[in-house]
Amino acid sequence: MTNNVSPNPAALAGPLSGLRVLELADEKGQFCGKLMGDLGADVIKIEPRGGQNTRSVGPFYKDIPHQDRSLSFWHYNTSKRGITLNLESTEGRELFRRLTATADIVLETFPPGYLPALGLGYKDLASGNPGLIVCSLTPFGQTGPWRDYLTCDLAHLAAGGQMASSGYDADDVADAPPIAPGGGNAWHIGSHYAYMGIMAALFYRDASGEGQYIDASVHEACALTTEGAIAIYLSTGEVVQRHTGRHASPDNSVKIQLPTQDGGWVNVTRSGSALNPARLRRLAEWMDEHGLAQDLLDEKYQDLATVQADARHTTDVLANFFANMPQEDLWTGGQERDFPWGAIRTMDEIMGDPHLEDRGFFVEVEHPELGQSFTYPGAAAIYNGSPWAISRRAPLIGEHNEEIFCGELALSKGELTLLAESGVI
Amino acid sequence: MSLPRPLEGIRVVDFTWVRAGPWAARWLGTFGAEVIKVEWPENLDILRMNRFTVPTGVEPGPNSTGQFADTNANKRGITLNVRTPKGLEVIKKLIAVSDVVIENFSSRIMQRFGLGYDVLKQIKPDIVYISMAGFGQTGRHHNYGTMGPAAQALSGLTFLSGLPGVPPAGWGWSYLDDTGGMYGAMCALTALRHRNATGKGQHVDLSQMITGITLTGSAFLDKTVNGRQARREGYPPGNRTTWPGAPVTNNYRGPTVAPHNGYRTKGGGYNDWCVIACFSNQEWKNLVKLMGSPSWADDSRFDTLNGRLEHQEEIDRGIESWTKTLEKYELADKCQADGVRAMPVQSSEDRVEHDPQLRDRGMYTEMDHPMLGRWKFQNAPFKLSGSPPEMHRPPPMIGQHNREVMEELLGLSHHELEDGYKDGTFWPEEMPMYPYVEEALK
Repeated sequence: MTNNVSPNPAALAGPLSGLRVLELADEKGQFCGKLMGDLGADVIKIEPRGGQNTRSVGPFYKDIPHQDRSLSFWHYNTSKRGITLNLESTEGRELFRRLTATADIVLETFPPGYLPALGLGYKDLASGNPGLIVCSLTPFGQTGPWRDYLTCDLAHLAAGGQMASSGYDADDVADAPPIAPGGGNAWHIGSHYAYMGIMAALFYRDASGEGQYIDASVHEACALTTEGAIAIYLSTGEVVQRHTGRHASPDNSVKIQLPTQDGGWVNVTRSGSALNPARLRRLAEWMDEHGLAQDLLDEKYQDLATVQADARHTTDVLANFFANMPQEDLWTGGQERDFPWGAIRTMDEIMGDPHLEDRGFFVEVEHPELGQSFTYPGAAAIYNGSPWAISRRAPLIGEHNEEIFCGELALSKGELTLLAESGVI
Repeated sequence: MSLPRPLEGIRVVDFTWVRAGPWAARWLGTFGAEVIKVEWPENLDILRMNRFTVPTGVEPGPNSTGQFADTNANKRGITLNVRTPKGLEVIKKLIAVSDVVIENFSSRIMQRFGLGYDVLKQIKPDIVYISMAGFGQTGRHHNYGTMGPAAQALSGLTFLSGLPGVPPAGWGWSYLDDTGGMYGAMCALTALRHRNATGKGQHVDLSQMITGITLTGSAFLDKTVNGRQARREGYPPGNRTTWPGAPVTNNYRGPTVAPHNGYRTKGGGYNDWCVIACFSNQEWKNLVKLMGSPSWADDSRFDTLNGRLEHQEEIDRGIESWTKTLEKYELADKCQADGVRAMPVQSSEDRVEHDPQLRDRGMYTEMDHPMLGRWKFQNAPFKLSGSPPEMHRPPPMIGQHNREVMEELLGLSHHELEDGYKDGTFWPEEMPMYPYVEEALK
């Protein structure tokens, strides 16, 4: 099931190759660093002594907790090298300044004001490297009344509006709370926009020679990511209501998440598959093969007005068909008949999907420290001229200290030992 | 002298429609690219018809929806029938002087138009071509179609959202249209920079559905590395990190802590909710003190994380009896002042009208729109000190910029333009023209 995204990845470099990124990021920004690393940037993750706190987030390899066994850390830190550095020591700050002299981008997620207080703010760093781009990705940005508020993924999805749009119809789950979708997506959303800001700054630097400072806010990024909710409010003053498995909307729309015979569900997205006589006929013929078309082959459904007027009845008949068919047959059978349906898949069903295999999505990443390779998620997009690739698994704590401090900054092994003993690395 | 914008001098041919594609191109425009949206009035972008976003008192029509407006700001727009030989010739002229072509049609529709990448690169060898089909342009199911919710379902994202023992709640909007749009923009920016660095263009083949799989956090590795079953007791755990009574497994949101939930607040309205999370024993102590050290909370069973996880039902009931006495913003402020993570659940109205942070940071910019009047547009969620992103142009009315693009940019004569309106190249022959379209021809 393994493939590479290009027939010969060695021959082509990723689109961001040649750029060096220094990443000082926790859960807020580690995904942004991964996005850049997998696209070819040379990302050096600078962790505090003892390792970044994200190393202690589960799940862990074989459920045995250890800072080098966090699957969460593995996932978010591919294609990076890792060093440790205590920025609160004089020697640590000096080493960091030396690293920024040759870097293109610094990505940091410290609380606002932390780096400037150490003499490592944008102005301090840019004085030695005017082309440097510094991106601070923080919960609320560097200014404003909520600047120092404490957050987490859940808190951002509350304030950002994701929860106000997600939940249940009352007849599915009575008194349900607004629901915060899982997966850590507040950080993903923030990281996507930080990536865009960094790219914009790179274009500007290419044109002007000047770096700049980027003040990115997870809250603003989330507040921007609820599709039509804001536009609906601005247009009509209405606030959307939560519905099970479909768009929150001001109205009580038709249900589209239908349970299947084998305990699954299929989403039969309305807007892309509005029924007309021809489409309804195609559906009814399929249902009839299983003896479940009921009256849908009736001639009266060859009239568009009847089809539209009977939408709820059609949905009921369809729901009965679904209740008697397995999930996999339903969504693929629908797609083969040009209905853009999607099963609610879990990772159990996603593994081995032949379409994903065709696209080289499942990539094997070697973990030499364990003598094993594991299957990682591949690329959302195939860059045909400059391939995406995971160049290495997440770094172990301080794995590249020698390579960077001795190899690049020309410290001796003796000096490296002193730095370790004195609490700098 | 004004500073150059990041994408100054970059021209984008934008074939996108609905949400994901237009949202991608919108950001290229926000960074200063000249984005030209290509439309055809007989196949209207469905956001031009979104019935929920026509303001009261505004005449309904393709130029009157708030949702289209925000999604398509910072673009110019032309109408062109690329299915005719003459239309195809015109679009090729435009592509020849452009840098990026971006589209989110179903797979291989562009080939059917005669505008596949092989053709595009003949017209413009270093063109950056971004396709955003649901399943991508390659792979055996490339022809499968998706809208946001179905893509979310297939990607595993939907399953991550909801309460245990009932159907998934999913995402109450097309997250993969918003985020698919982000990836479209990220792909365009990345491939364009690669072109600037190497002189080489390329086709980037993005899949909306696959984007979703990459956004499920560590759920993927928990399957491939640990073999964890996705369907398991107590999963997904709603707004909690783990469900009381079920075996502790990670829910891919962060560390396993309690309390960690949504709570009703004073007023009892539909969105009168807040969330509170305690990530340490100290944060829990801070919360207990803030609640006035009620007797129910003074219980040694709650002193440890394990105890709090086990007794979440009891703790959540107790916390909610307190949160119901406070208005949600007041509650969040009090919590934050005492070192407790808490935020209000904010509706769209809350964000636009009541969120002091978004107001302070200037999240919404007003511009004049020909149909909607003075209208709010959402800004970029970051500030660039040297080359700030800008909302600089309201969305195009359909066909609004035909004359300036055809005559000024592509050098068609006014006579050729008029002919194109008569022969169905720039406007459907049978369809009445809007007054502004006729006006522009004079």
